[in-house]
Amino acid sequence: MRSRFFNFLILIVFIFCSCRNSANSSNEFVFPEADSVPVGEAEKLSAEAIAEISKNISSPVEIANLLQLLSVPFSPDYLASSIDANRQSTAFDKALTLGILGADLGYLNMYEKTGSSIDILSSIKKLAEGIRVGQYFDFESIKRLSLNKSNLDSLLFLSIDSYTQIDDYLRTNGRGQLSSLMIIGVWMEAQYLATQVVKQFPDQRLRDRIGEQKIILNDLILLASPYCTKDPEFNTLCSDLQEIKDKYREVRITYTIGEPVSVEKDGGLVVEQTETSTVEMTDEQLSGIIEITKQIRDKLIINN
Amino acid sequence: MKKYIISLLFLITGGLLLHGQTTDPLVTTCVMNAGPNAKYLKDFRVQLGKAAAPGEPRYKTQMSLWKNTKYRFTMCNSEDSKGKLILNIKDETNKMVLSSFDKNTGKIYPYIEFVCNKSGIYQLHFDFTDGQQGSGVGVVSMVR
Repeated sequence: MRSRFFNFLILIVFIFCSCRNSANSSNEFVFPEADSVPVGEAEKLSAEAIAEISKNISSPVEIANLLQLLSVPFSPDYLASSIDANRQSTAFDKALTLGILGADLGYLNMYEKTGSSIDILSSIKKLAEGIRVGQYFDFESIKRLSLNKSNLDSLLFLSIDSYTQIDDYLRTNGRGQLSSLMIIGVWMEAQYLATQVVKQFPDQRLRDRIGEQKIILNDLILLASPYCTKDPEFNTLCSDLQEIKDKYREVRITYTIGEPVSVEKDGGLVVEQTETSTVEMTDEQLSGIIEITKQIRDKLIINN
Repeated sequence: MKKYIISLLFLITGGLLLHGQTTDPLVTTCVMNAGPNAKYLKDFRVQLGKAAAPGEPRYKTQMSLWKNTKYRFTMCNSEDSKGKLILNIKDETNKMVLSSFDKNTGKIYPYIEFVCNKSGIYQLHFDFTDGQQGSGVGVVSMVR
């Protein structure tokens, strides 16, 4: 009896260890294959993994920088001016709108249209307070710098840093869903900006930047995945993101190999990458992406 | 008693508000010293104790870098750091793209400009020289 019990105990220990090992290996964060995001995996994402993923999402400031490089003039028509911060009733709407307006703020700042950003700043403040993160948005300093138009560096830093602090706070305080919404809102608005501009300024570099978003689309979907089945609003958003992803399905990104070239300059190092990435995207595919982006982004801001 | 509770609430609220608005002066200085033509993108605050043995960089993170963009990575150290902050960047295939530390000469570059021609997600690895204790910040900016 005693030996049978001992064997049984060994068996239990063996099974327990086996399960633990398999659980450990599946906890490793693996970027999903091109066309599927396993929801089960996404639910296991740790706060650290989400933080890492969020760093991969391109900044709207980078899109605005590219537009400036291409000498694209500023246009207020691209801004989500119809958004009324007072009409955002749910935390979902507030967080998503906070992201959308954050991208608009980045666009305004980069073009130094800072005097026009006061309305957006007020809305951002209201929305941040609405989800109890107002203390992380340094409204007074940002407003002062915007009105003075004196120090773009400080303004960019304070604006981005405020958003980073909000994001960190939300993630580390069990409100990761709001952090995900904010990031998705930022990306959606930057994507809208790029896709609207490319219609009028069909520069190859801008086309490429739009095509390259395929690289991070899985990450974006992964951020939303844990909540897709838990909330109807999230469910719709997840379907929207999936629709965008479908439009990217046939876009191809190829790479050429090369060694980086380094030269010293003024005490620093300048490294030029000779490896390249090339986007293969037809006009039809681009049109599909432009159309779906506008449709979803307009829906998001009209709903608001 | 009521007075104490009110004072305590006041202190907690004040502390929370201050916490929200405080930015590390090292970060601010580093951002402002990134150069007149640099536009701030993000920063990585690194604080590490002395490593048991020097080896692989200990602070690992990632970010997307985009083709047709020139990035500047500026490394700053706090005064009490024993080592100097160094940065290695690897691509998705784990290939070393750049390092601010030249192993052959022992030279440490305070900043690196990177002309990116391949969009993707890159691994950023930070550590202090010889696995020393240190506190620093790596600022990422875009330059024209």
